[in-house]
Amino acid sequence: MEADFLATVLLSSLSSASILLIATIGLAVVFGLMGVINLAHGEFLMIGAYTALTATQAGVPYLLSIPIAVAVTMAIGALVEVLIISRLYGRIFDTMLATWGISIAFYQLAVLTFGTVSPGIGMPQISVQIGDYSLALYPLLMNVVALLMLGFVYLLMTRSVYGMKARASIQVPEMARAIGISSSRVNTLTFALGCGLAGFAGAVLLPIVPATPSMGFAFVIKAFLTVVVAGPVTLTGSALAAIGLGGGASVTASFLTSVAGDAFFFIVTALLLWRFPLGISARWRRKL
Amino acid sequence: MFKLVGATGGYGKTTIIRDVSLEVRHGEVVALLGRNGVGKSTLMRFASGSIPAMAGHVEIDGKVAPTAPEKRARLGLGYVPQGRFVFPRMTVAENIAVAAAATGHDHKAAVAAALADFPMLKPKLDDLAGGLSGGQQQVLALARALATQPRILLLDEPTEGVQPSIIDEMAGILKRINTERGIAILVAEQDLDFCLSIAGRAYVMEKGRIRMEVDRDTLRADTALQQDLLGV
Repeated sequence: MEADFLATVLLSSLSSASILLIATIGLAVVFGLMGVINLAHGEFLMIGAYTALTATQAGVPYLLSIPIAVAVTMAIGALVEVLIISRLYGRIFDTMLATWGISIAFYQLAVLTFGTVSPGIGMPQISVQIGDYSLALYPLLMNVVALLMLGFVYLLMTRSVYGMKARASIQVPEMARAIGISSSRVNTLTFALGCGLAGFAGAVLLPIVPATPSMGFAFVIKAFLTVVVAGPVTLTGSALAAIGLGGGASVTASFLTSVAGDAFFFIVTALLLWRFPLGISARWRRKL
Repeated sequence: MFKLVGATGGYGKTTIIRDVSLEVRHGEVVALLGRNGVGKSTLMRFASGSIPAMAGHVEIDGKVAPTAPEKRARLGLGYVPQGRFVFPRMTVAENIAVAAAATGHDHKAAVAAALADFPMLKPKLDDLAGGLSGGQQQVLALARALATQPRILLLDEPTEGVQPSIIDEMAGILKRINTERGIAILVAEQDLDFCLSIAGRAYVMEKGRIRMEVDRDTLRADTALQQDLLGV
């Protein structure tokens, strides 16, 4: 096997893992800091993608459309938290059911508003040459974006007062309130943040994954499994799970078929959950 | 300055404490005594707002306290629960800082103040709280409560699972914060010696009610009463 082919496969697999991680971080934040599984996460990603698409179609430069998408999804996320999620804390199955309902509603809303197909915005046509092969630059750039996102969330959660409050609230909720933290406000902010990260993912992935109403479904299952495999040390756990599962699946897909790649993803997930029912990070002594 | 009036509460449909009234005056240290399972911890959780009231209420400075525990904390109610409940995946410094920040105080100053009170925490400052020993966690839980700058401190079984040398140190610290800062203390305990060393008077609980109120000297002298009420 040629070295340049191997390098190409590895690089593009790393990009796939990063794309999975970008799509997952928001879900991981909401699950890790609120104990809520947001099954509408994929739809927030979709809303972010459509917001960026609509903005660029209206003449806004693509880079500027990304913060707009974040702002829109954060606002909708805060509204959903106050109106629905805040009534269901500590009832994990009820929140899953409620967010699933929200996801269906948002999906239908998108079908009614945008139709089932919509134009992509096209990937910047720059590629890098590796031996006989050439790789598009934009997906490679996603490795950097994933690292920046991880760094941002890590710093926010470890260095800011809000981050300390959010971690205290999920670790010992009763004591968090007893020392003066109003968990309801912290939760609204955390949920909005998770939705904003989903919106960011939808917007930043738009050149690779075109906006369609059903795009959320494609991401949410794998993102959900990644978070569950990660366990309580959410951020580090999710990064490792995304690289292992997403990267592994992509390598497998390159050598065999994309079905084999998916099979790899789900079989390894099942094996990991069998060996580590509480997630791979259950015994780690780390903050995030 | 701190009162429980007709406190009745428990878990679900089970009532544990019934019609309990007690008072802690300004700058006073009061003990809450009683055997295991008489409802001392439930009473403490009622006072902090961690369990809802079935009847009765809490008064701080003569006014009825709000029901939300976070609002009580901001009114100056500090709570150290039985079993410590430090935030395990946060560092020692963060445990203290978050309590100060949540009650609107400067969090860096709070960590510095805590180190002055508890020098033993200094080498552990960047360690995760979950990895500390029981005694160290107890000291941390106390430091965390003090970081909220309370005027009344609720301590639930602070000596449980703590080695004797740290118990003595803790008694000294509590006496000092009480006299120097005028922080009133209500302490639920089974360790009679510890209570007698810091508290001026005590309420004795039995079957979810206050059976009697005694001052330190009466309790110290009356071994028959100690035997009868506390099994010591």
